[in-house]
Amino acid sequence: MNVIEINNLTKTYGKARGITNISFNVEEGEIFGFIGPNGAGKSTTIRTLLSLIYPTSGSASIFGKDCIQFAPEIKREIGYLPSEVFYYDNMKVKDLLKYSASFYKKDCSKRIKELAEIMDLDLNKKIDDLSLGNKKKVGIVQGLLHEPKLIILDEPTSGLDPLMQQKFFELLEEENKKGATILFSSHILSEVQRLCNRVAIIKEGKIVTVEKISTLKENNYKKFKIETKSPLNQNYFQMSGVNNLAVDGSITSFLFRGDINAIMKKIADIEIANLWIEEPDLEEIFLHYYEKEA
Amino acid sequence: MNIYVKELKSHRKSIIFWSIGVFLMVVSGMTKYDAYSSSGQSINDLLKDMPRSLKAVFGMSDLDLSKVSGYYGMLFIYLLLMATIHAAMLGATIIAKEERDKTSEFLFVKPVSRNAIITAKLLAALTNIIIFNLATWISSIALIAKYNEGEAVNKDIALLMAGMFILQLLFMVIGSALAAVKKRPKTAGSLATGILLVTYMLSISIDLNENIEGLKYLTPFKYFEAKNVMFGGGLDPVFVVLSVVLIAALSAVTYVFYKKRDLNV
Repeated sequence: MNVIEINNLTKTYGKARGITNISFNVEEGEIFGFIGPNGAGKSTTIRTLLSLIYPTSGSASIFGKDCIQFAPEIKREIGYLPSEVFYYDNMKVKDLLKYSASFYKKDCSKRIKELAEIMDLDLNKKIDDLSLGNKKKVGIVQGLLHEPKLIILDEPTSGLDPLMQQKFFELLEEENKKGATILFSSHILSEVQRLCNRVAIIKEGKIVTVEKISTLKENNYKKFKIETKSPLNQNYFQMSGVNNLAVDGSITSFLFRGDINAIMKKIADIEIANLWIEEPDLEEIFLHYYEKEA
Repeated sequence: MNIYVKELKSHRKSIIFWSIGVFLMVVSGMTKYDAYSSSGQSINDLLKDMPRSLKAVFGMSDLDLSKVSGYYGMLFIYLLLMATIHAAMLGATIIAKEERDKTSEFLFVKPVSRNAIITAKLLAALTNIIIFNLATWISSIALIAKYNEGEAVNKDIALLMAGMFILQLLFMVIGSALAAVKKRPKTAGSLATGILLVTYMLSISIDLNENIEGLKYLTPFKYFEAKNVMFGGGLDPVFVVLSVVLIAALSAVTYVFYKKRDLNV
């Protein structure tokens, strides 16, 4: 079952670019990554899902219900952490969380305490006095305190130290095991690699690809680095399946996707001094996607 | 309900200060009356020689300032100004502040509709203007009683307060409608007070120049003037109806536009 279904969602702001024909689905129980550089349209998509802004065309549904028409009903089961957290300054953390909990028809006080303990958050401080990282923690507790079925996180790790980030990820994995679906937007690829099952890559307001992390990593791509005794002809490896070809003196490197035998034969024909074949990390794959259309 | 309570709390300090302010306004105004009245009839003779335009600017025209009722009638326009400035700013900020303080990504992802949020906020604003109105009313009655020499004024004051309440409501929804319509709601408060000052100036201009009497429908400050409401005049039904229609229309604008608008996040 799809928890989120997005169909040809388009949002334009006058002349400025918004998002164009975004379509993807998030299945129940998965951790879905939403990746793209700053300004690609991640937040716009998320805010449209939450009906903070309305689409120019297209539609989206959450839990099978239209995200605008049934917004209040849907939001009972959504926890949201915005990329920048702002709260009512003159409130204490405790009061803000209570206020947040008062919107859900259940007792959240126990869960608030648990979460605050995990995230090491002082409930008696004034929000005004909190650092950016601590405000983010308030946001995390606030987003999870009603045990939502769908958790939407927009760049959740900014401002958190590595230790907290670790705890936060463990918390998310736990929630996911309990059945929560998670939509996780980020421009930091390593965190996505670790957590997510599938990712959608967005660039300049358009979805570039939606794939399983495992497929992405899976060796469709291999990173080749070859050292030769004498410099190679620039075009020696110019063949189908080779990407990002770079020749730097005696070192030649490229990404390869395709029949591994073909490339091995090609390599066997030349005198080589050394050879490295590696799995590319996600970063390189994404850079490849980002650059493809540029 | 929780939003309503939260809004009341966040405006608590402000309404306390405004109430103290209006109380001090009544006190200082009525203390001056003490000085006027002790000089007896002479104050009216003095004012007779004052140019009509000056009297209009000070809101003194057609009032018998030697009587406590007439004097209060002059003071009323200042109380009315305070009350409407408060209402206009309150109506605008209570809607606009979520976007101004960037808290909309907190409130508007909660399981409540925008209509419910607007309703809670407008009710909280309404509660505040009622408190303001009551503070003015109580201060007025108490202070007038102190200087009154047997005039029956409490009914007139009640009528003035009823008129003031209608105008408070009107300016509150002018503020909220602006905040709902404008793409940059932050500026709604200053625009609302701007409109207020322009309409106030217009009401003075009408006092100065009878040829533009017809424009009185455009300025709420001409709807329930003390000199017309007091001394048996009562609230003019035409203006009551006009106000109610405007309030209803602007409330509708607030709801409809805010529901359709992209939030500034």
